[in-house]
Amino acid sequence: MMAKKVLHSLTLNGEEVEVASVAGATLLETLREDLRVLSSKRGCNQGVCGACTVLLDGKPVRACLTLTARCEGHAVQTMEGMNGDHVMATLQRHMVESGGVQCGFCTGGVLISARELLESDPSPSRETVKTALSGNICRCTGYRTIVDAVCGAAEELSQ
Amino acid sequence: MKIEGDFEVEAPRAEVWDKIRDPQVMGACIPGCESVEQVDETSYRAQVSVKVGPIKARFNLLVEVLDEQPEHTILSRTSGEEGTRASVVNSDNVVRLTDTDSGGTHVDYAADVSVTGRLGKFGLGIFRKKADQLAGQFVENFRAKLGVTA
Amino acid sequence: MTEVFNPETVEEAVALLAQHGEAMPLSGGATLIAMRNAALVEPSHLISLDRIPDLRGISRDDGGGIRIGAMTRHFETAACVELTGSLQVLRRAAGMIANRVVRNMGTMGGSVANADPAADYLPALSCCDAVLEIAGPDGRRTLSIHDYIEDWYETALEEGEIITAITLPAPVEVSSTYRKIARVSGDYATASCAMALDPDGQGLRVAIGACGPGPLRDRAGEKALRGKLDDPSAVSEFTSRLVALADPVDDVRGSAEYRLRLIPRLVTSVLSELTTQKEMA
Repeated sequence: MMAKKVLHSLTLNGEEVEVASVAGATLLETLREDLRVLSSKRGCNQGVCGACTVLLDGKPVRACLTLTARCEGHAVQTMEGMNGDHVMATLQRHMVESGGVQCGFCTGGVLISARELLESDPSPSRETVKTALSGNICRCTGYRTIVDAVCGAAEELSQ
Repeated sequence: MKIEGDFEVEAPRAEVWDKIRDPQVMGACIPGCESVEQVDETSYRAQVSVKVGPIKARFNLLVEVLDEQPEHTILSRTSGEEGTRASVVNSDNVVRLTDTDSGGTHVDYAADVSVTGRLGKFGLGIFRKKADQLAGQFVENFRAKLGVTA
Repeated sequence: MTEVFNPETVEEAVALLAQHGEAMPLSGGATLIAMRNAALVEPSHLISLDRIPDLRGISRDDGGGIRIGAMTRHFETAACVELTGSLQVLRRAAGMIANRVVRNMGTMGGSVANADPAADYLPALSCCDAVLEIAGPDGRRTLSIHDYIEDWYETALEEGEIITAITLPAPVEVSSTYRKIARVSGDYATASCAMALDPDGQGLRVAIGACGPGPLRDRAGEKALRGKLDDPSAVSEFTSRLVALADPVDDVRGSAEYRLRLIPRLVTSVLSELTTQKEMA
């Protein structure tokens, strides 16, 4: 039996999209399988690793735990839609410079979480950065270079 | 995971033994047991449902009596799976009966249980608590079958 | 495959739950969708409570009591300035759940309904003497948080019922706080402690989390301790009673024995924090 598909309309990176997804699909499945938007990664599919993190109405959420039906009529933003964002660009540059990117699987989720932190706390302490990124698991860097990047970006942005 | 426990019933050991060896009595006492059928002299098939919070599972179990010393000890092995779903349960069980001073029976039980597959993701700590809870219900049902209160 | 409904009223949601046998109510999804992704639950229908305005928002009644809509997300509770004094404990607990991203998703109603013994809200709500508002096929009812947990992951919620709000008595000007011992920031508690002093500073209310099927409270023991908060032997007797009532699991977060050892340490150190705060105030 073919799985029943449902049509959803939502705003993705500023554009209205209509997408047919399997009934009960998660936003992660819709993004990757139906829309081929691939920056949100499927790591644990349990909401633990943070690699799928995207913005829903401007707030970071786990795409793997968010149903596409919940996004009907709402705005979703992924890394693909952040190209003009100055804070994001600064964070990205610091991540590259400090060696905070290795395999890159966690990077998008880390950046989205870090950007939200800097919005609410423009000059966080290292401890605050660590706590804010506690929901983003990285298996390569050992985190120090990621914390360096976020602190460096915060310092640059506050000047 | 090892599950152990004991309880006493105010009934003579011979009677307790007969009930423990009667699949219909055991089926009626095991919480969540939906059916029991005897396959041969020493093996039985049973369907048992368990529920932990929102998680429900129904196992098709095969129980084999490996060795028994009448009116004292039964060694058995339980193995089963969850229909089309990928959970597998295996358990080696020992039940021992001894007389109490007051003419009743003391029952010791121990099981070494392994659960793999989807239910294996759920913490073993909770399985143990659930097992204790089910054992408590079993003892209550079993006493009722024997017509004793404690 | 799961069919998703988005009702806009509580009545509609309750009717949908009654109509579909294998349906489950869905709030923030932080736990339920994770369980579905792991095939631990396989609901035929999910009744999303996300579009029901009645379930949202934090409000004050005429008597100063606070009503938190079941769909209030953890980040909203963590930032709620109405939760002061005796209710500060709940605000603190909300801010310690998981991480920022999960706090944007998870809801108080969902967390309470899931009844994870190691989650943060239940001990805090027990310490606040919260009351749950519930809607179901037989209408609406209220239930004290103290009568809510029945066993491990078993609650007094009946089939087809949903939590609509959590109500709290009006806050009073006393110190309260929540502390948890966890392996890393944002993990479930290995053990946790929610505590509020009595208005006169002579007694306390305390609920221990992650050391039994539900929050552990000993109201008789609290009564006996009144007036003796500065008497170490009375405090020690009180914590021994809590340890005797506890029934923790052995799991990856800590052995049962370790958890039992944490209880007296948590209670005495949180008590000293609160009484110091009171002296400084």
